[in-house]
Amino acid sequence: MKEIKIFHNALKDVSALASKIKENQKKIIGYLCSYAPEELIYAAGFHPMRLFSSKSDIILAENHLQTYCCSLVRGILEDSLSGRLDFLDGTVFPHTCDSIQRLSDIWRMQGRYEFFADVILPAKLNTQSARTYMVDVLTRFKKDLEAAINREITDADLQKSIKKFNLIRSNLSKIYALQSKKPGIIKGADLYAIVKGSMIMDKDEVANLLPVIVNNLEKTDAPETKGKRIVLTGSICDSPDIYSVIETAGGIIVGDDLCTGQRWFEGLTLEDDAPLVAIAERYMGRMICPAKHSSPTARGENIVSLARKNKAAGVVFLLLKFCDPHAFDYPYLKEFLEKEGIKTLLIEIDDQQQNLGQLSTRFETFIHYI
Amino acid sequence: MIYAGIDIGSSTAKAALIKKNRLLGTHVIPSGYNPLTAGITVFDALLEKVAVSKTDIAAIVSTGYGRASASVKFADKAMTEIICHGTGAHFMNPNIRGIIDVGGQDSKAILLDKNGQVENFAMNDKCAAGTGRFIEVMANALEVSLDQMGDFSLKADKPSKISSICTVFAESEVISMIAGLQKRENIIAGIHESAAARVAILAFKINIKEPVMMTGGVAKNKGMVAALEKRLGFELIVEDFAQVNGAIGAAVLASRL
Repeated sequence: MKEIKIFHNALKDVSALASKIKENQKKIIGYLCSYAPEELIYAAGFHPMRLFSSKSDIILAENHLQTYCCSLVRGILEDSLSGRLDFLDGTVFPHTCDSIQRLSDIWRMQGRYEFFADVILPAKLNTQSARTYMVDVLTRFKKDLEAAINREITDADLQKSIKKFNLIRSNLSKIYALQSKKPGIIKGADLYAIVKGSMIMDKDEVANLLPVIVNNLEKTDAPETKGKRIVLTGSICDSPDIYSVIETAGGIIVGDDLCTGQRWFEGLTLEDDAPLVAIAERYMGRMICPAKHSSPTARGENIVSLARKNKAAGVVFLLLKFCDPHAFDYPYLKEFLEKEGIKTLLIEIDDQQQNLGQLSTRFETFIHYI
Repeated sequence: MIYAGIDIGSSTAKAALIKKNRLLGTHVIPSGYNPLTAGITVFDALLEKVAVSKTDIAAIVSTGYGRASASVKFADKAMTEIICHGTGAHFMNPNIRGIIDVGGQDSKAILLDKNGQVENFAMNDKCAAGTGRFIEVMANALEVSLDQMGDFSLKADKPSKISSICTVFAESEVISMIAGLQKRENIIAGIHESAAARVAILAFKINIKEPVMMTGGVAKNKGMVAALEKRLGFELIVEDFAQVNGAIGAAVLASRL
């Protein structure tokens, strides 16, 4: 499908993509996690772009972040220090895991980009006071953006932005639902490219392409593959190879709870509410990441229901090495799933090194016995 | 009907033949640089050894790191070594419920159900701690042949304590011990205890159930077996076919194709 190819091509060269975006006088604001309020960044006239590591060797970042920090955080700092992110006009750091917060400190002290903001979101996302606080934080962030652009961000700007993101998110949800209904209709590597592309490409372009893909997939019949249905969970997966290895081993990815997947795009923002309240509501209602708190068993119940809803034969935990929030949650999530008779596999991934031989041994064995 | 299993591992390539649920023979050679050549060579050598013609082979299953290239060229199917070790152990001894397989670059703990099907497994994560390679590197540093490592360590009176998990750091630790004139027997016992500690973690991760068979090339090392038994708190079943168990499992799986 030529629309999917556009997503793949966009991922090949991020700086070329950035130059194209900048041709239209747009400034680019980078962010690292799915709690960054993209609607506000976009409403301010900026292009919100999620940052990923280019997976280059860590040399300069070694002076700032030790090896016990995850490869994502180290890799992005390396990219910044070596000038690979010079296209950025600013960055936004939402308050999530410790490593991202420390990266924010290092980043600010380096002062390489014009705009900088920390968005100090509440850690608990299930209380009334957190709700009020969340709206205050978003109001403050809006003021920071307004100071940078020297004009007010109106409710109309925000509503327009919310509509755009709702369009992107609802179409991504439709693609996932179609894949779950007609497994194998789309390759894992394509799914990866579409979601990652949606995080970094021009939002208007993404909003135009996704409905075409949905439309094409709706008309496509389910392939006659008999793969085993797999749900992924964890932090990020920035390696299309992992998707291919799973498919070669006889699995089909039918859903995920990944920061670079469903967790990023699930849930729509109410369009007729006060915009900042509506944006806060979405974060409060969305499935939390382990750096946030909801009820003590929220993630366990969610992964079980996600696995059931997608009729998963097994759940694969993809955890970035040294990501302690996810590692802390892993034992209880595994227990929740296994109590329900759902088999699990843990894979630790690292942006800088990937041993595909070992990965395929694990996946082939797991898919064989689930 | 004769069925063949070929296990191309990182250190050695193994082949096994079975006929009417009976083991006909096995063979082991070093893997060398080319996994495909190793697979073909070990297979041909075994055929010659047991005087069986290639045309008598009904099906071949390949396993180990070279399994994919072998299945493209001459095997009927590739299966992972985890499944093959499970099948092999169950074929040779149907009571087995747990396997500890320590090979050249991997160590694995495998849990079997009563039908010999893999129920769960845990595998070392990339690094060489707790693998055959770790012991090999240390054997080189100590100028002891791999085969002698077991006997040496059984003569230890006070095993040295190796604190580094990383093979490279552990090697420099061992070199410091050599320089400190510590007894070679004690250093070797310490190396086995250190590797056994890593492997035992895998076994505990999957709540391994007895009886447990130890397979893979490292099972030939008596010192390592003893260190593991001490760590685990139970005895391991070690048979002569430990190293070729994966190839036997592959041959059994070939008979079911």
